[in-house]
Amino acid sequence: MEAASVAHAEHHHGPPPANQSSRVEPQLLGMLLFIISEVMIFGAFFTAYFFIRVVQGEEWPAAGTELPVAIAGVNTAILVSSSITLHWAESALKRDNRFGFKAGMVVTFLLGATFLFIQVNEYVHIGFSPQDTAQGSIFYGLTGLHGAHVFIGLLLLLFVTIRAFRGHFSSQSHRGVEVPGIYWHFVDVMWIVVYTSVYIL
Amino acid sequence: MTARLRAPGMPRAGLGLALGIALSYAIVLPVRALYGFEPLVDGDAVTIVALLAAPFGFLFGLGAFDYWFYWASGRPTRPEDHSGHGATSWRDYFRVNTDHKVIGIQYTVTSFFFLLVGGALAMLMRAELAQPGMQFVSTDAFNGLFSVHASILIFLFIIPVFAGLANFVLPLMIGAPDMAFPRLNALSYWLLPIAGTMMLLSFLVPGGSFATGWTAYAPLSTDAPLGQLFFTIGVQFAGASSVATALNFLVTIITMRAPGMSFWRMPLLVWANFSTSLLVVIATPFIAASQFFVLLDRALGFNFFVPDRGGDVLMYQHVFWFYSHPAVYIMMLPGFGIISEIISVKARKPIFGYRMMAFSLLAIVVLGFTVWAHHMFVSGMQEWIRVPMMITTAIIAVPTGIKIFSWLATLWRGVLHLDTPMLFALGFLTMFVLGGISGVMLAMIPVVIHVSDTYFIVAHIHYVLFGGSLFTIFAGVYYWFPKMTGRMYDERLGKIHFWITFIGFNLTFGPMHLIGMKGMPRRVADYAEQFAGWNLFISLASFAVGLSTLIFVYNMVASWRGGPRAEANPWRALTLEWQVSSPPPIFNFDQIPTVVGGPYEYGVPGAVHGVFKKPGEVAPAPAGRVATAPKKE
Ligand SMILES: [Cu+2]
Repeated sequence: MEAASVAHAEHHHGPPPANQSSRVEPQLLGMLLFIISEVMIFGAFFTAYFFIRVVQGEEWPAAGTELPVAIAGVNTAILVSSSITLHWAESALKRDNRFGFKAGMVVTFLLGATFLFIQVNEYVHIGFSPQDTAQGSIFYGLTGLHGAHVFIGLLLLLFVTIRAFRGHFSSQSHRGVEVPGIYWHFVDVMWIVVYTSVYIL
Repeated sequence: MTARLRAPGMPRAGLGLALGIALSYAIVLPVRALYGFEPLVDGDAVTIVALLAAPFGFLFGLGAFDYWFYWASGRPTRPEDHSGHGATSWRDYFRVNTDHKVIGIQYTVTSFFFLLVGGALAMLMRAELAQPGMQFVSTDAFNGLFSVHASILIFLFIIPVFAGLANFVLPLMIGAPDMAFPRLNALSYWLLPIAGTMMLLSFLVPGGSFATGWTAYAPLSTDAPLGQLFFTIGVQFAGASSVATALNFLVTIITMRAPGMSFWRMPLLVWANFSTSLLVVIATPFIAASQFFVLLDRALGFNFFVPDRGGDVLMYQHVFWFYSHPAVYIMMLPGFGIISEIISVKARKPIFGYRMMAFSLLAIVVLGFTVWAHHMFVSGMQEWIRVPMMITTAIIAVPTGIKIFSWLATLWRGVLHLDTPMLFALGFLTMFVLGGISGVMLAMIPVVIHVSDTYFIVAHIHYVLFGGSLFTIFAGVYYWFPKMTGRMYDERLGKIHFWITFIGFNLTFGPMHLIGMKGMPRRVADYAEQFAGWNLFISLASFAVGLSTLIFVYNMVASWRGGPRAEANPWRALTLEWQVSSPPPIFNFDQIPTVVGGPYEYGVPGAVHGVFKKPGEVAPAPAGRVATAPKKE
């Protein structure tokens, strides 16, 4: 009996804990590297934009079309404020203010969803399609790629919100909020780049 | 039955696959009805959506996402009980396994399967090319053969097999119990068979397999039949797999090194995979984007590559080569790492210029991003780009040259053990120098204008990827075979394999330089009468190479099943993976070793790399110094 349980324990003993050779946390580093490759995806789409708008010298936006700069500007403000509310939620969590944390997450999620809704609405009313011109393809390509990232980011925020309401996370353990948070801030910063180059310049 | 369909595994994966295909119908039909498209059921549209949805159904069924779903919904996650570690029967290789050693073997065996497939396609091509005129296949089928051959061997063999070897060896080498993200690691592996199966399935669709080369230049690819999309989408899965693995390697190397293992004490294989992973994380998104553009143009009628709508055709080549030039280093740097290990161990000498070896890897990473347009010298791009790209291309030969001289200096007056891994390492050294020389020739604009799209290019790429990468892969597989399987391979068969491959390889690809210079175009099924003699010769030699691969496969299978048991350290190597049993214990180490010296102090009396004592008992020596200085007598 004794021997059997010892053998059992022997069999189920886990790996020795890995040595931590860096002060950076693995999850954080992983997310940063993932963001680097995401930036490169956007870089490739901006390369297409550069070749068509600058190298080829195509008119921007295509003749007879207009971009809703003002509405997109409001939308930009909405996305930027969602980054601020997310930061607010995180600092509430670090003070163990659960109400602030939950409220911050919900507001952030709603702001992000509003952004996506306005973006889709813009596609419906913009008056040109990606099939018309290369400029249209670039416009829908870049904003669509970003929209897809907003969608993924919203899913991550949704997961965090669900877990928040189930009582997960605390001032001691908040990596599960921090890592999706970094992604959301990245999506936000990327939008400012997209907005500037597509709508303003 | 329902229990088996509910638990993660192959039956549920099959169900997921079926559901994925059903979902594609459920998406496509209503959308087409909404837009009033005729006919309602469109094979092309359903196939394209299914190519994206079915793999996710399969992965979901297999259980690749289970843990994350539990985590995301806030349900209690199963604490890791390590039941996913180790493999006791062959069945354990067909499920989501989080053990890096199992994943390493899954990766290696899968990619060798694709080597055999890609090689068989090459044999078919050489059969067709043995005589002028058309014998076995149509011209379209021939285009498909060389396209699938190249794509399979690049995306499903060379790139993943290096990831496989490193998956097994790298955590052991740095003294880590596993990779940083074991579940992501399992997912990266399972994306591979999906990508490979997709590319091979393209042979079955109407219109034949994709036939635009592995480069899939637009607008050729945006007008191609349905088979093209099996490449376009397959590459996305292979690319996602590479990025996930690279990210995993980088995090593992940075955060999980054993105490005392400073960056300047890492074995060069670790350095090589560190550099390669940087390249993958930065460059691979570009090929993903290039294929997204093709997909959007081909499937949804976008205009990225439609010139009369303002699209830019050359943009494809810029984006594609911004990945695919670094990709040649993704296919080479891990091999450099393997060769550094083997040459130092088998010559019983410290590697010459260890730090220069590491710096030259990093130099290649940086310079690799500055040369892409040398693939476009005859494409009609802006002329002013050509000379700068010619100069950077010539410069990138310098760090590679540094490595060659370091290996030669390591061999100099060493005690050479000429067994199979070393033979392949030396074979690599000679063949890669030849491939490098033709590479520098091709960097020169006047030369490339003469030989562009001829067999000279085919000769060059095979000297680099076959004589270069594949030789390092063979060397690495023989070298780590005892560690991975716990058995010794048959040395005599290994040597026979080497000599037939080495001679057959040179007889196959050497003459291609000549017929290329004389102007035989590549990627054609038929050719002028004057090249008939050489082509017959090349075809016969290539069959010898094909046969030698069967010797290798026999050796590996037979030795794995019944070879003599391997000792823990048959090569008397210093690096950490050889300090544990063969095969390694289920969690690699009972306790994490402490590193006290450099990894290559061969022939230095009393030199040790790592010791198994509890941290604290041994004070790690200052980083970068040899802990035990050689005694002067
Ligand atoms: Cu190149």
